Amino acid sequence: MNSVRNVLAIADKELRSYFASPIGYIIIGLFALLFGWFFYVYLTFFVQRSTGMAGMGGGATNINQDMIRYVLMNSAVIILFVMPMITMRTYAEEKRSGTIELLLTSPLTDVQIILGKFFGAMGLYAAMLLVTLLYMGILFIYGNPEWRPIASGYLGLLLMGGCFISLGLLISSLTKNQIVAGVLTFAVFLMLWVINWIGDQSGPTTRVIVNYLSIVDHFDDFARGIIDTKHLVYYLSFITFGLFLTAKSVDSERWRG
Amino acid sequence: MIEVQNITKRYGRTTAVDDVSFRVERGEILGFLGPNGAGKTTTMRILTGYMPPTEGRATVAGYDVFTHPIEAKQRTGYLPETPPLYPDMTVREYLDFVARIKGVPSRERRDRVTSAMQRTHVADMASRHCSKLSKGYRQRVGLAQAIIHNPEVLILDEPTAGLDPKQIIETRELIRGLAGDHTIVLSTHILPEVAQTCQRVVIINRGRVVAIDTPEGLTSRLQGAATLYVQVDAPGVDATETLQGLPGVSRVALSDQRDGVRGYEVESARETDIRREIARAVVSRGWGLLELRPMRMSLEEIFLQVTTEETPEEAVSEQRP
Ligand SMILES: Nc1ncnc2c1ncn2[C@@H]1O[C@H](COP(=O)(O)OP(=O)(O)OP(=O)(O)O)[C@@H](O)[C@H]1O
Ligand SMILES: [Mg+2]
Repeated sequence: MNSVRNVLAIADKELRSYFASPIGYIIIGLFALLFGWFFYVYLTFFVQRSTGMAGMGGGATNINQDMIRYVLMNSAVIILFVMPMITMRTYAEEKRSGTIELLLTSPLTDVQIILGKFFGAMGLYAAMLLVTLLYMGILFIYGNPEWRPIASGYLGLLLMGGCFISLGLLISSLTKNQIVAGVLTFAVFLMLWVINWIGDQSGPTTRVIVNYLSIVDHFDDFARGIIDTKHLVYYLSFITFGLFLTAKSVDSERWRG
Repeated sequence: MIEVQNITKRYGRTTAVDDVSFRVERGEILGFLGPNGAGKTTTMRILTGYMPPTEGRATVAGYDVFTHPIEAKQRTGYLPETPPLYPDMTVREYLDFVARIKGVPSRERRDRVTSAMQRTHVADMASRHCSKLSKGYRQRVGLAQAIIHNPEVLILDEPTAGLDPKQIIETRELIRGLAGDHTIVLSTHILPEVAQTCQRVVIINRGRVVAIDTPEGLTSRLQGAATLYVQVDAPGVDATETLQGLPGVSRVALSDQRDGVRGYEVESARETDIRREIARAVVSRGWGLLELRPMRMSLEEIFLQVTTEETPEEAVSEQRP
């Protein structure tokens, strides 16, 4: 009970700090804009294709599989770019300004602090995703998409973002400088994304390993509307492992002084 | 209330704190005195559970800060060297957050925040952002933050640093007011502060404890030799010879001179009280004895003496009333 309270206190503080400066609004706005652009591109493409096919007597196309799925997969890439902005300051800034001394001398455990920061960042991320649901609303007004694949897609986005956040927290805990943290996080995310292509062009064994490392790859099934336990376990264990390493990093910092 | 046992802290190859031990009783104010880099902050960080010692053990309110950190931290308020403020929070929001993480129940939080602001005189800044506070106010909000959960133990790292003279006096009064129901450890390198605020002093230098005593005890203990100040009205006569000739006197120096009235510093071994002999000698020669009093070394001189490792004789000989 107490621990939940502590986690909430930190999460609340983190979430509010995003909106105390313009950064929170900028992130949400930027994400909504880029998402909107992909949404527009794929929607016009989809409309052209379906009307064209109808003219040729072809069957109706599926808006879930032929449009929403691609929009979500592309938004995964946007998230990769936006997420470092969310996580870079979490630890680095506390270390630079000395507020870490307040947190570490308060009756909180490291895990409570880390979870608080994680859920705070998840809160902002959830707000980002929530705004994009407005676009989906448009589809429901003018069309008749299936909600299940959309729900599974958003669940996938949430989990994938959780992986990025836990990795971002880890990197932020390694430095005092939030810019260094941001750039480093971005570089690592980019590598995890690029690794995808390497996987596609290499032999079967490397491919298995590489695919396992690629966070974005595991999202494909969610976007298709499939919730596979394999991917769920992957994402949840990735998040846990990232947070675990963050705890180790915070603790080792304490020993070094 | 606080017990530090043989604490050593090494950063790589530098030893910041070397085998430090001391105790602080309930309700006591202990001053931690030392020059820059002495290891004051490091010791305090260990006491507050911010980092573990390389060796040794510390207990706060009966809880080992390393094996029972949560219990110990619940009972400790800490003002770090730089007040740990969040720039984008207002003072009230900030104190409310601190109260939350210190485990103050939500229904008491409002009152505790208000009373902490009143005690530290920051109530008029309640809705100001922390980033827009002056150094003095930052320090006071830091102090408010430390007392917010009414902890048994307060660890204050240079609580008066950066304050103006009026604020310094107010802060010292506040600290004295907190003693009694709080046990306080404060660090400083301002010496009069220790004499005015603390009941006991730990002098630390290059990571080692040099002395632990009351300010009064330190003064007399470190003095080594007792020095008397004697003012004699004997126009045209130098009393140095006479005083020097008295039994037990080790050294006499003329310290001031005005209209035939001369002041002398008379040094003797600490155990012997030679005031009567001096009085008798002066009066029997028909001179006027205007003043005869023991000279106390100020803490400042003790501090300098201790930390620069001077011999007591050197320090005393440089001293003028
Ligand atoms: N994080 C650190 N890494 C390495 N050395 C450190 C670290 N922190 C402190 N030191 C060293 O440990 C010694 C004690 O430092 P400490 O900050 O405890 O001194 P202090 O008494 O608080 O000094 P001041 O009066 O300047 O605040 C110094 O020699 C300092 O250089
Ligand atoms: Mg210090």
